[in-house]
Amino acid sequence: MISSGSVSFTAISHSFGSRKILDNLSIDLEPGKVVLLSGENGSGKTTLLRILAGLLKPDTGYVDTGSGLLSWRKSRAKLISNFIYLHQTPYMFEGSVYRNLSIATSCVRGYENRKNRVLDAMEWAMLGGHRFAEAKTLSGGQQQRVSLARAWLRQPPYILLDEPTANMDSKSARRTLQLLEKLKHTNIGLIISSHIQHQFDSLADDHLELKDFQLSFLNARQFSGNVTPISRDREIV
Amino acid sequence: MSGDPDLWEIVGISFQVSGTAILISAPAALLIAFSLAYFNFPGRRALISLFNTLLSFPAVVVGLIIYILLSNQGPLGNFRLLFTQSAMIIAQCVLCLPILIAMGHAAFQSADQRAWETARTLGKSPFGAFSLIVLEIRFGLLAALFSGFGRIIAEVGASMMVGGNILHHTRNIPTAIALETSKGNFSQGIALGIVLVVLAFVLNLLLQHFQGRGKLAL
Repeated sequence: MISSGSVSFTAISHSFGSRKILDNLSIDLEPGKVVLLSGENGSGKTTLLRILAGLLKPDTGYVDTGSGLLSWRKSRAKLISNFIYLHQTPYMFEGSVYRNLSIATSCVRGYENRKNRVLDAMEWAMLGGHRFAEAKTLSGGQQQRVSLARAWLRQPPYILLDEPTANMDSKSARRTLQLLEKLKHTNIGLIISSHIQHQFDSLADDHLELKDFQLSFLNARQFSGNVTPISRDREIV
Repeated sequence: MSGDPDLWEIVGISFQVSGTAILISAPAALLIAFSLAYFNFPGRRALISLFNTLLSFPAVVVGLIIYILLSNQGPLGNFRLLFTQSAMIIAQCVLCLPILIAMGHAAFQSADQRAWETARTLGKSPFGAFSLIVLEIRFGLLAALFSGFGRIIAEVGASMMVGGNILHHTRNIPTAIALETSKGNFSQGIALGIVLVVLAFVLNLLLQHFQGRGKLAL
């Protein structure tokens, strides 16, 4: 049995046609931990994050969210509710920043409550002056902050970030890192895929590298998870 | 023209029949178009090909098939729908469905895949995410509606065959033009023709307006 809030993925494999991307890899995740995922372009980082988020069906894969080992397909609904996947280039819906943030408040009851939550999120993400701005016209850094604010509004156990500082100037990257730091302190687990590893040195608890279709530990500062080929002792439900 | 109550009744029947057909077809077409764009299932490609083929299906053949189905000897003859507005609505639904599906499918395909994933990952139910996507591509979907409406309000073959062109009941603009022209009553035919031309012009203006929104080449 895994600890409360932890999620364990086992025997994840995926191919695109005849091209193998992930081969029988396993990963355990814990809330509040920051995992940096590195690897060369095309190594499968995005594929892995999309599988973890419940957005891409792997060829094989099992998930344990605390109620036994289930197939990925049976766990999909739970993955979608427990994980938020943030694209490398965030998608902004048509309309203002305020509307984009409101989309993430569907579970908040009452107009005033929703409005207050959205205003709090804008302040949290340093977007105070952009309430009525067209979200699609914002800079890459500002759009990334809107994306993080949407995730913050949902307060999921885990956020998966795909190259969150790619194509950003140093100032925007610094602001994004500040928000990630704040997220870490709210006990949200972060899994960050990036090829700019040094930016996340102070933030990451574990550093995993995706290479040759497999995950391996690099410079684990606080070893907490395990990365094994497959947990054969677990009973598949 | 302005003082002829019969003419305005014909215009009214046209709008009533075609408007009802669009309202009935649109929700089904929307769901089919969405399913074709977002779900991979066996026969998906065959269905897309089928609907694309039906785009160029002659209206008179659709009329013939509906006629056979609704005639007394046909499988739906007991409903006694032949030569009623209901029969015209059924035929027009069949005619506009492929246009709505093909254009709706193109509109859904043009939507960014990230929109669906972002909506789902932000806690929207599948229906909530679907509604968000519909809002994102509303101009493409409106263009589909106007195109579908433009096709059925101006078609004559199917309406003539299954409606019967009965005054005060099933006579619409295109069937009335055909009748008046055959009688040599050109003024009435031209008056109705002007209504159709103005309507086509307005629909095209709206179509261009909506198709142009949100998409600027430069």
